[in-house]
Amino acid sequence: MSQIKLNRGDAVIWLLAAILLVGLYAVFWRVDGHGAEAVVLVNGKRWARLDLFQDQNLDVPGPLGHSHIQVRDGRVRFVNSPCPNKLCIHTGWLSQGGEVAICLPNKVSLQILASDPRFDTINF
Amino acid sequence: MIKTFGYIFWAFLLVFLSACERKPVVYHEQLLVFGTVVDVKLWGVKETPGQQATARLADDFAYMHNAWHAWQPGPLGRVNQLLASGESFTMPPSILPLIQRSSKLSLSSNGLFNPAIGKLTAIWGFASDDPPKGPPPSAEAIRAILDQQPNMKDIRLNGLTMQSNNPALKLDFGAFAKGYAVDRAIEMLREMGINNAVINAGGDLRAIGRHGDRPWRVGIRHPRKAGILASVEVEGDESVFTSGDYERYFDWQGTRYDHIIDPRNGYPAQGLSSVTVFARQADLADAAATALFVAGPDEKNWLPIARAMGVTGVMLVDKDGQVQLTPSIRGRIYFIPPDGNTEENNTEQTSPGIHISTAL
Repeated sequence: MSQIKLNRGDAVIWLLAAILLVGLYAVFWRVDGHGAEAVVLVNGKRWARLDLFQDQNLDVPGPLGHSHIQVRDGRVRFVNSPCPNKLCIHTGWLSQGGEVAICLPNKVSLQILASDPRFDTINF
Repeated sequence: MIKTFGYIFWAFLLVFLSACERKPVVYHEQLLVFGTVVDVKLWGVKETPGQQATARLADDFAYMHNAWHAWQPGPLGRVNQLLASGESFTMPPSILPLIQRSSKLSLSSNGLFNPAIGKLTAIWGFASDDPPKGPPPSAEAIRAILDQQPNMKDIRLNGLTMQSNNPALKLDFGAFAKGYAVDRAIEMLREMGINNAVINAGGDLRAIGRHGDRPWRVGIRHPRKAGILASVEVEGDESVFTSGDYERYFDWQGTRYDHIIDPRNGYPAQGLSSVTVFARQADLADAAATALFVAGPDEKNWLPIARAMGVTGVMLVDKDGQVQLTPSIRGRIYFIPPDGNTEENNTEQTSPGIHISTAL
């Protein structure tokens, strides 16, 4: 086998190729943080997309008033909502992909996004 | 040296590219319509057409909800008022296909699915947005309605003209309208060229096509505990509907009264926790789930009704957690042990209380 010498030009090409490869990997294979994002819907329309590792408090306007949503340490919950039975608040913290809390009276829903939940849909 | 470098490069490239399949695209939207959450998943549909499709679905669900609602004022409310008068009248056109289809299903269920018993549902307090608190209605009040035997045969149809001689008849499509609406929604998706989708309306669903290279994965919730009882894969075109005693009920002096009223005795049906029906048409699955829930856990009672309705895929869970399956479902369903693993090798032995019913 003949030994091929690596000159400067070759090295640059190889380096660029390697950078390109890593770059492509980063762009197309960015690992979706499992359950690291949530979506807030008002009246079925997307109102906000939340990064669960960015602590924040939100006031989401619905037909009855504002629903207060809190994001802390990768979890999210309804803190308050102007509905009679407070089912959305009793749902508590959501952190797992696919989990949902809904305030039907105020038409606000909250769902954790997941890249690969165990099921596409749940029958009950 | 360069050769080694080259090998490493190609090895990397191979590894990364071999996994470089395009991520399956699922357009996912939740609609707060039909008094519930309608979860729509469209496989292989991009953002813009997905939004357009779900916006049309939302409009249609809102229209159907208003037209067919059993206790809010609207077209069905007016029909019920006019039916009670005994006079003949012209119905809103949107009601006619519901009456025709549900009459047929009621007949094949031997009356166990009966949309004419709206008065019974109402005196039990289930014709309301809030769950009733009790007490149960008096035996006399139940008897007064039962004695008049309201059923779909009391309705006389002539084109869009209808009339009833039975003052106890009141239409309530609660055990049917959701299925019918899901069927219309699937029809609408197909007209728009969408052939891989799941529409899940408050837990009851119809799935068409596939989730890319695999079937749709459906989890069936446990009727007594938090979590999933079983999983099943669905592809092509199939509906999965469950009627359960946990959906709407009230407890009164130690007894649970659920929302599924037995038209034969006027009381909530006893004996089962849930019935899951697998069928192509969602309206059939919906009506059959109710009819089989009323029929109860004894195979001698529910099997003939399932046969008459043309339903072959059934899972029943009784009050003690005993499960009955029809053969067509047995090979497809995987029970999930309490620790939550979805191991495919778990069989009847590891899942307590599985009883396989006779051939259907």
